[in-house]
Amino acid sequence: MMAMTRVAGLAVIIMVILVAIFAPLLATYSPFKSSVDFLQGASSAHWFGTDDLGRDIYSRVLFGARTSLFIGIGAAVVAIFLGVPIGIVAGYFGGRVDVLAVQVIDLFVALPGLVLALIITTMIGPTLPNLMFVLGFVMWPTVARLVRGQTLNIREAVYVEAAKALGGKPIWIIWTHIWPNILRIVSAQFAITVSFAIFTSASLSFLGLGIPPPTPDWGGMVRTGFDFLSVTPLVSMAPGAAVAITVLGFYLVGSSIE
Amino acid sequence: MLNYIIRRSLLIIPNVILLTALLFWSVTALLGSPAAMMLGEDASPQALAELNSVYGFDRSVFEQYLSWVWSALQGDFGRSFATQERVIEAILPRIPASIELAGLAILLAMFGATVLNSIPHAKGVLTTFNTVLSVIGITVPNFMLGISLIYVFSVTLGWLPTSGWVYWSVDPIKHIMHLILPVVTLSAFYFGSFTLVYRAEYKVIYRQLFVKVARAKGLSESRISFKHILPNSILPVITYIGLSLGQLTGGAVVTETVFSVPGIGRLFVQSISSHDFPVMLAIGMIIIVGVIFMNLLADILYTVVNPQIRLE
Repeated sequence: MMAMTRVAGLAVIIMVILVAIFAPLLATYSPFKSSVDFLQGASSAHWFGTDDLGRDIYSRVLFGARTSLFIGIGAAVVAIFLGVPIGIVAGYFGGRVDVLAVQVIDLFVALPGLVLALIITTMIGPTLPNLMFVLGFVMWPTVARLVRGQTLNIREAVYVEAAKALGGKPIWIIWTHIWPNILRIVSAQFAITVSFAIFTSASLSFLGLGIPPPTPDWGGMVRTGFDFLSVTPLVSMAPGAAVAITVLGFYLVGSSIE
Repeated sequence: MLNYIIRRSLLIIPNVILLTALLFWSVTALLGSPAAMMLGEDASPQALAELNSVYGFDRSVFEQYLSWVWSALQGDFGRSFATQERVIEAILPRIPASIELAGLAILLAMFGATVLNSIPHAKGVLTTFNTVLSVIGITVPNFMLGISLIYVFSVTLGWLPTSGWVYWSVDPIKHIMHLILPVVTLSAFYFGSFTLVYRAEYKVIYRQLFVKVARAKGLSESRISFKHILPNSILPVITYIGLSLGQLTGGAVVTETVFSVPGIGRLFVQSISSHDFPVMLAIGMIIIVGVIFMNLLADILYTVVNPQIRLE
């Protein structure tokens, strides 16, 4: 069961990555080119129909994969780079450092990520790199909390004690004993962070506060299509399904490793 | 016990001060000059200075923060830039809709997750169904789920209204009809997470001695499950509610926007889009302080139920 979901998730991730890379080859139109064929249904000329400006939805969905993956993976990298060192240091050294780290982590974990992201992105402007950093910043405490917990457990292991008795320096112990043992949970957390970053950035765009048009972006496309739901549902359903499938892929891989 | 509660409550004071100050500082510092925004780009320097002194924008951020908190504690959050309405009067009437929506969604998710996962499932079909349902709930974004539900149940089938809100006092039946889709949408994520949390605990309790005793007494599987295991497995779900309140407000913001529910989440999004700084600040503060307090409450509740946990 676990192996199956992992394979399915991996297949989805590989597909989305390939789509993002080869979008220009797979697309049948330019994602920005508008035409007079507004709000067409699915046809052989436009596989997923066209939006309110006559742009081809299939091509826009393909290019939207780039936006989503960039933000999702970028945010996860930021979250890991902040969360893992803080978690290891807090868990390994304990004491006052740990108390302070736990205070900060608890404070941020409880806060509404989407609301925080909304406020910060409005302040600094919704560009791709900004969104990446904001979402990474919002998600690092979850990573740090998990890593800290794991490190705490491993610190008590006999082999760590042995390494200490041999006179090993903390950095060496962390590198040779702690890090290999938390690698698994870090990679699981990486995949889950990617999925929630894509989820959150799509929500921001849906609220009209994410990546501004005309950049092809799934959340923004769903928002556009929402007004034309009774005319042609594909305008929002196609990009919406793309978000859901991508989030699902990363989530399945992450939760199956854990 | 009382000692613990007092100490735990005192601990949140620095958090509240720190976070509200941070929010205030980031909003004022990064938003630029509110006066310039209100008067437009070609306002005269005199007019800007005058407005700045009227609103107190010419003082230091620290002074502004203190005076903002002082008035906020007295229920005065200033006036909206967009409508000139008093902020408190814009927010208060919108709170009930938000609480009703969020409360019902949590209840539905809790009820669904505990009941569906307590039914003794011999063949495993139901387990698979629950797993699929919970994964969908966790991974499908609220806006997508909401739009899909609107498409199926409102646009295609025409059973339920697409969006909007009818107050209970106006027409109770229409009120409920308008509530169904938003509540289901918002509860989906919680149904998923509660299922995971509840199942893990259920498995632990399932192996305990009193369950074996109940079975030896000859009780039916469903009676064992609902009467003996369920009440003993529900505690982690309740704790999880406290931990996930931040998530809930985010989901509520999106859901309220999709279904045009007149709650504070939608007002928040509108105030951000229109750069209505006092409204945005007030709702941001209410959400942050509210989440911190609800967390405290969940913590205290947890200690009351489970006295083993104490502050180290």
